[in-house]
Amino acid sequence: MKKYVFLTACISLAVLVSIGAFAQSGIKKKRPLPQDYGKVVLNTYSEKAGLAGVVFNHWLHRSKFTCRVCHVDIGFGMKAGSTGIRAADIMKGYYCGACHKAGGKAKFEACAKVTNNDFPKRCDRCHSLGKVVAFENDFATYTAKFPKERYGSGIDWEKAEVEGYIKLTDFVEGVSMKKPLLTQNKELELLPKVEGMPDIIFSHKKHTVWNGCAVCHPDIFVGVKKGATKYSMVEIFEGKYCGACHGNVAFPLLDCQRCHTKPVS
Amino acid sequence: MPYQARIIALLFILAAGALALFVAGGRSASAAYNIPKALPPDEYGNIIIDRLSTKNGEKPVSFSHWIHRRKHTCRVCHTELEFNMKTNTTEITEAANRQGKFCGACHNGKEHDGIQMFGHTDKTQCIKCHNGNRGAGRERYSKDMSGLPKNKYGNGVDWSRAIEQGLIKPQHRHTDKPLEADFEKTLKLEAEWFNIPPAVFPHKSHIAWLDCSNCHPDIFNIKKRTTKHFVMSRLLAGEFCGVCHLTVAFPMDDCKRCHPPKESK
Repeated sequence: MKKYVFLTACISLAVLVSIGAFAQSGIKKKRPLPQDYGKVVLNTYSEKAGLAGVVFNHWLHRSKFTCRVCHVDIGFGMKAGSTGIRAADIMKGYYCGACHKAGGKAKFEACAKVTNNDFPKRCDRCHSLGKVVAFENDFATYTAKFPKERYGSGIDWEKAEVEGYIKLTDFVEGVSMKKPLLTQNKELELLPKVEGMPDIIFSHKKHTVWNGCAVCHPDIFVGVKKGATKYSMVEIFEGKYCGACHGNVAFPLLDCQRCHTKPVS
Repeated sequence: MPYQARIIALLFILAAGALALFVAGGRSASAAYNIPKALPPDEYGNIIIDRLSTKNGEKPVSFSHWIHRRKHTCRVCHTELEFNMKTNTTEITEAANRQGKFCGACHNGKEHDGIQMFGHTDKTQCIKCHNGNRGAGRERYSKDMSGLPKNKYGNGVDWSRAIEQGLIKPQHRHTDKPLEADFEKTLKLEAEWFNIPPAVFPHKSHIAWLDCSNCHPDIFNIKKRTTKHFVMSRLLAGEFCGVCHLTVAFPMDDCKRCHPPKESK
C-alpha cells in the first residue's frame, strides 16, 4: 500500500512540475519602482560568509560610467550571480576592487583587508540586502534634473548623455587598454516576423556610446553580418538578445514604439 | 476491443467524470472563482483607490472607467501615464499628481481639450475624487451614455461599436505617438467543451484601445501552442482575458460575444 502511495505522489508531483514548467502567468507582473529598476542582488558567497547579500543599483554607476567599462574591461557577467565575485578577488583589485580600492578613484574601499572601527557600517554600503541603509545619493534628488522617459528607471539615459547631464567614463586606469576608437554608426532596419508590426530601427551609434562592440558581439549577437543571428520577440522576452539588457537595465520592452519606429508603408 | 474491456473502460471514464463533478460541485461557483459581484451599469468599472488616502485622513478616491474611456483609450493611462492594471498597486501620491504624473497629467487645474480641469489646485474640488463613493458620477450616466450602442452587460454600452461607428472619439495619445501597428489578425480558439463554438479574438478591436505591451508578454506570452492555457476556469479567476473582461471591459456573462453561435457566421 505504501508503495502505491509513494508512486501516486511521485506521479502527481511530476504532473504538477510539468504543468508549472509550461504554464504562463496570465496576469500583469508587478513592475519595479523607478529607483529599483536595474537593481541586482549578488549573493553567491555573501550569505554563506555571514554577510548580507550585495545590492547593486545600476542607476548610480551608469550615470558615471559606460556599460562597457564594467562588463568588458573589468569583466562583470551580464547576469546577477554569474560572475562569482569573492572578497579576495576584490582585495586583489579585480571586479569592484578595480575602482573601490585604497587610493582608487571610488569614494570607498570595498572589502578591505584591514577593518577599521567603521565596521560594519562600511560593509553595509554594499552588503545591504534586507537592511535599511541611508545611501549618500537619493535616487529622486540625484536624477531630478535628468531628462525623463516613461517606464524603467523613468530616465532617458541616452538623452542625458547627449545633452551633457551625465559624463561617462570609459577608461579605468590599470584595467582598460588605450585603443583607437571604433566607429560604427550604421543604422540597421530590421524586419519584424509578424505582419503589420512597424519595422525596427536599430542604431549602432546610440549603442556604441555605452557598449563599444564587445558587450554585444560576438556573445549575444554572433554575426557582424546582418541576418547572421536569428531571434524572435519570444526569445527577447525571455531575456536573450536585446532582452539581455532591455527589460533589466536598459529601457524595458513595454515601450514597443521605441524600437518598432518605422510605420508600415 | 473485447466487450468486457470496453465496459470496464466506459465505467472507468464514468467514474472519472463523476469524481470530477464531485470535486467541482463541492464548491459553489463564486467560492471556486473569485468572480466580482455584478454591479449596476453605472457602477461597472468604478473603483475605489485607497492606497494612502485613509491613512492620510482623506476620503478614498473614486474613479470611474466609463467616464474616462469615452474620451481616452486604455493605453493613454495604462501605457503613457503608467497606471498599473490592479487597484492600489500604482504609486500615486499627491506630490506625483502635482508634478503632472498620473491623474495630474490632465487634472492640473488647467484647460485640457477646451475643458477646465480640476486638480490639486482648488480645495473646493477635493470631493470630486476624494468622496469614497463608488457610485459617484451616477447622475451623469444617462446623459453621457445617451446615443451610444446598447449592450446587455457591463456598462450597458457596446464600447467597441461606439468607437467603430465614430460615436465616441477617444484620444489615443497624451503626449506620445502610439505604435502605428496595423495588426488585424483575428484568432480562433477552440473551446474546451463539446458543442461550444470557438472563441473569436479580434486584435483589431483591441488595438483600437490598447498597446501591444498592455497584454504582451505579461498576460499573453506570445509563445506558440500556449493558447491551451486560456481555459474558462483561469479566465474567471482573473487571468488572461479576465484581467479586463470581468472588471472593466464587457464581462464574461456575455458568452456569445466571444463565442459567437455558428449560424451567425
